[in-house]
Amino acid sequence: MVALLRLGRRPWVEYADLVEERGSASAVLQQELSDQAEPGGQASLLSSNAPTAAELVAQSTADLERWAAKRMRLVTVLEPDYPPNLRAVHDRPPIVFIRGRLTSEDARSVAVVGARQATPAGLDRARSIAHHLVDHDYTVVSGLAAGIDTAAHTAALAHKGRTVAVIGTGLDRAYPPQNERLQREIADQGAVVSQFWPDSPPSRRSFPMRNAVMSGIALATVVVEASQTSGSRLQARLALAQTRPVFLLEELVGAQPWARECAARPGAHVIRDPAEITAALDRLIGPGSLVA
Amino acid sequence: MPSVHELSAPYENVMLGPRRGPDVCGICFNFTAGFARCYACAHGHNVLDAIAPISYSVGREQLHHALASYKRLDGEVARRLGATLAAILWRFLAEHERCIAQAAETDRFHLITTVPSSDQKRDERHPLRHIVGALVGPTRTRHARLLRNSDNPVPPRTFSEDKFTATRPLTGQAVLLIDDTWTTGSSAQSAAAALKHAGAGPVAAVVIGRHLNREWHENDRRLRGIARPFNWAECAVCAEPVTQPLHHF
Repeated sequence: MVALLRLGRRPWVEYADLVEERGSASAVLQQELSDQAEPGGQASLLSSNAPTAAELVAQSTADLERWAAKRMRLVTVLEPDYPPNLRAVHDRPPIVFIRGRLTSEDARSVAVVGARQATPAGLDRARSIAHHLVDHDYTVVSGLAAGIDTAAHTAALAHKGRTVAVIGTGLDRAYPPQNERLQREIADQGAVVSQFWPDSPPSRRSFPMRNAVMSGIALATVVVEASQTSGSRLQARLALAQTRPVFLLEELVGAQPWARECAARPGAHVIRDPAEITAALDRLIGPGSLVA
Repeated sequence: MPSVHELSAPYENVMLGPRRGPDVCGICFNFTAGFARCYACAHGHNVLDAIAPISYSVGREQLHHALASYKRLDGEVARRLGATLAAILWRFLAEHERCIAQAAETDRFHLITTVPSSDQKRDERHPLRHIVGALVGPTRTRHARLLRNSDNPVPPRTFSEDKFTATRPLTGQAVLLIDDTWTTGSSAQSAAAALKHAGAGPVAAVVIGRHLNREWHENDRRLRGIARPFNWAECAVCAEPVTQPLHHF
């Protein structure tokens, strides 16, 4: 899989589809390389001295050893321990890197997101949502950004709960730099997840891509405080496109026109109390037969 | 206990209801360049008396992924996807079974069955049979396994009266066929042929997703012209035809 992505002929999400359809990454790699070998084939126009399968695989094996030495684990979409909720969304990445331990209980999780420049009231709300989720055995997912994200992660850790950070850089980096210690703490007690090569720096494109994974890895997204131009607004949109419920705080809907529009969409809920999140999710994911 | 309404609501953002119109295939709701039938339906065998796709299913998008994943995966995620697809089917049939029966010229469907998977192994425990036979209120009491893959292998995507065989005689009974995806229609049409061969009366099909690729021809523009969110009050069969092709630039 790493060799296939290193070859990089297509958008990564197409590789996720192809390897799931074929059930094998090496079969897709062979296919990509034979398309290239075919005279006049589509790929032959791209490059005349492309690497061979053996070269790509050798390079990838070295990569994997290097990453393992740094306590990073790579999980592909073909493996049983790929995050189960993420597997169900159309825009899942073909691989994720994990530092720490992602447990099967972490599938019972909610993403808590919001502004980097949050108000004290917003930070309080993020903390009380995180507490409530931990008390109800949910893992708190967030994006390790300053503001609301940091408050949610920290409150979950302080409350002895599980927390997972989905970050917008590779695992070797920390952004913002002052959260490097928090990132280490989360890796020790929960998990840090990244869909990017470990040395990838933060970029304008990486954060929105990260929002899709954060939304996909969780059962639902809660937006605490967020402006018109925030990544959290984007995450609300991505979550609805993945058919994941979105919870918007009443104060947010009162303050932000985008949140009012979002609240009108199917699958969006306006909440006053964190208990409404767990009540709705317990019903949605609970066992028992359907009722009309 | 999740309600059908709650489970299906988030899908309203991604479901795209097919409607009749001048550039829409009159059989399967594929988009055409001004033709009354798409290539597959114009050159195929049209045995079904009525066809109602609930939504378009666009390649690599969420509904398409759900329709592929609920039968490929197992465990909790597959169970939840199956429950959601059941909710979609339930809500749709509760509203529109009557319109589809009317289009097939019957007052009701006596029996409901699923199109077998061409993958013999998968068909032995196909989650769609569990959905139709156990989960969906409007179908479970009338569900029966009426079709099996026949012994003569038929290449995929081709119509054949011998692709499936009926499990029992069906003298005059009206049958509703359910399938997850319609691509060329060859499976559903072959299934209808086998049912009619066994004596069935009117046979109609409800499919959750009518497959389309966004990149083909004008599909992207046509899909962007469909009203959202999804409206449960209308279906492909009962909605007023769209008279003008919608232009969205």
